[in-house]
Amino acid sequence: MSHPDDSLHAHFNNRIDDHFDEMTGLLYLEGQLDAGRARDVSAHVAACGSCRELLSALEKEAIWLHEALTTDEESLPAHLAAKPERGSIGWGWVVAFGLGVGGAYTLWTGFIQPSLTQAAQAGFTQGNVLTMLFFTGAFWKGWDTMRTLPEFMAAATLGMVAIWLLRRHWQRFTTIAFVMGALACVLGLPPSARAAEMERGNPSYTLPAGQEVNNDLIVVAGRARIDGDVDGDLISFSSSLTVNGHVKGDIIAFGQEIIVNGPVDGNVRVWCQSLSLNSTIAKNVMAWNEQIALDEKASVGGSLMTGGATAELDGHIGGDVLALVGDLTINGRLDRDLTVRGDRLTIGSTAQIGGKAKYEGRGQPDIASGAKLASPIQITIPKSGPDYTRVTYYWHQVLLWGANFLFGLVLLLLLPGFFSDAVHQTRRVGPAVGFGALFLFATPIAIIIACITIVGLGIGISALLLYLIALYAAQLFVGSWLGEQLLGYTVGIGPAVARLAIGLALLRVLRMIPFVGPIAGFIIIIWGLGALVLAAYGRMHSQSSSPVAA
Amino acid sequence: MDRQNTAGAMSDTQLAQLLSQVRAGNSDAWGDLYRQYAAAIFRFCRRVLPTREDAEDATTEIFMKVKQKLATYDSSRPFTAWLYKVASNHCWDTLRRRRIRQDLETGDLEKLPLEHPDPGQLERLQLEHTGKEVRTGLAKLPDRARMALVLRYYADMSYDEIADTLGVRRAFVGVLLLRARHQLREALGAGGASAAGAVAGRRT
Repeated sequence: MSHPDDSLHAHFNNRIDDHFDEMTGLLYLEGQLDAGRARDVSAHVAACGSCRELLSALEKEAIWLHEALTTDEESLPAHLAAKPERGSIGWGWVVAFGLGVGGAYTLWTGFIQPSLTQAAQAGFTQGNVLTMLFFTGAFWKGWDTMRTLPEFMAAATLGMVAIWLLRRHWQRFTTIAFVMGALACVLGLPPSARAAEMERGNPSYTLPAGQEVNNDLIVVAGRARIDGDVDGDLISFSSSLTVNGHVKGDIIAFGQEIIVNGPVDGNVRVWCQSLSLNSTIAKNVMAWNEQIALDEKASVGGSLMTGGATAELDGHIGGDVLALVGDLTINGRLDRDLTVRGDRLTIGSTAQIGGKAKYEGRGQPDIASGAKLASPIQITIPKSGPDYTRVTYYWHQVLLWGANFLFGLVLLLLLPGFFSDAVHQTRRVGPAVGFGALFLFATPIAIIIACITIVGLGIGISALLLYLIALYAAQLFVGSWLGEQLLGYTVGIGPAVARLAIGLALLRVLRMIPFVGPIAGFIIIIWGLGALVLAAYGRMHSQSSSPVAA
Repeated sequence: MDRQNTAGAMSDTQLAQLLSQVRAGNSDAWGDLYRQYAAAIFRFCRRVLPTREDAEDATTEIFMKVKQKLATYDSSRPFTAWLYKVASNHCWDTLRRRRIRQDLETGDLEKLPLEHPDPGQLERLQLEHTGKEVRTGLAKLPDRARMALVLRYYADMSYDEIADTLGVRRAFVGVLLLRARHQLREALGAGGASAAGAVAGRRT
């Protein structure tokens, strides 16, 4: 047996006169001293009563410990009496599969199928389900069907809680199987991008007048000009896009300036700085931009949804209008409802609104006397900031806390180890905040890049969902950390739940403080997100490098 | 000390036979082996892990690992030593993932001065506390201290095995054990079973 490191034990070998210390005594009793040193100790013990006494006490302590630890106090639980077999774990997979199928069915009947129907009605011609969900479901027509999503989530949460309660029988493989099943469910809808014509302009691309593309056309260029016709969708990633020709499908465009002069048989969905619509759009328009102008000769057959700084709607819109716009001016004819949220609303004398009009904004709307409104505008001027005098505000905060806590509870019960890791990482404030900031901003960019390539759209949307979940989860780790600072650390699920509850309540109170609250909320998200990233990295690292037992 | 509460009446030959049957895929033999050792491993997990549920989970998981890794077991070594190694690695990995913050770093531990014990008080402590109280006190210890005591005084592991399991230098194991004993004494309310006058008393 090798001799213990002398340098390490030097500290403990401080002799007190001729007596040896407790460390030496322990090592002597355990047979860990080298022969020479052991002889010295033996000789000393033979002559020294107090050292003999110490050795005797230490030896008895070892026996006492041994007996205390080996005394039977609990027998093997009955459900552990049977030998573990792989077959028993199969139950976990069976249940996970069943839940997965149930979840997929719920998702399909409650969410995907209605969206598909709506998408088909809207004439959306994209070739894969996720694209349709992305463009027609989540962002436009699917708001109603989104209501079923919380139901699905609630059912899934209940399922997960049930799994946790029954995990004694199914073991943790069930959880893993469930998570894997859910992921497979999300990712298992492969995007089947339809073959499309791809054009790259360097720096510009022009589809000449008189030419027709009988397919979807994807254009990537500095400047793009479409004078010819497109019998399919036009998808553009160009700084400037001018469409003079006839587009028989949809226009989906990302760019700085987009001008549509030619007729469009489908929808227009754009993300840009400025958008000018000067023609007839048969279906819907969805535009996120700084400014949008609908010419007086222009017409939109369906609905218009826009978000941005300024909008001027001088043309005709057949469907509803939803505008989240700072400054909105309406001089045209709106056949159906108008819903506006913004700073200013101006309705000119030539304007006509056929349906109900709702406006929520800081300033009173300016309505010209000649304007024809089917009914008076319903105006709401919200108070800026939270209304601390209302009970509902505090009730709302309690509900938010409850939602946070429930989510945290599920996460804590399902992944106690990971949860604990993430809470631990919040102590590394610098790296956590740094990585949090990086991932907060870098992830959306990566997701956008993934979504731009049609094939990557499924991955992009899945990543977006995970990103949103991560953002929501971020506060849980900071909350638990805060709870730990207050309550101290005690092993077990009960104390962990208490720490989570207290910590989240404090964070909620902190976020209610005027001015400080929003800043604190932002920091909490960055901090918690970073901790989550570090914990995930640590987990992957430890799994790849942890020593294998024996 | 023996490897605790495990092999019971089974002889080495019987065990070797049983193991070879398990390796050959005999389900009954696997059941026998499990019954032989499950209770001991469960108690080991119970001593080391924070909750009963954790110990139950760990017991099953450890035996699944044992079944998978049985081919790698070197039959020239005692089976129980190998079994406890698998169990302790699994439990330590579980605890390590949870990163109990109370654990002191090695460097800190080396620098901590240890008060000299009063043998009389130490013996009184042993007389005054039941096994159950000791186990309760043990549960209050930081993971590494608890693990060290259980590995040494329940699983009867050597210093080399403990060092390997806990990922510390072998020379540090003694320090760890002594520190753990002090912490346990403190947890049992003996304030380290030390007395200011103990050293002075021994000088006379």
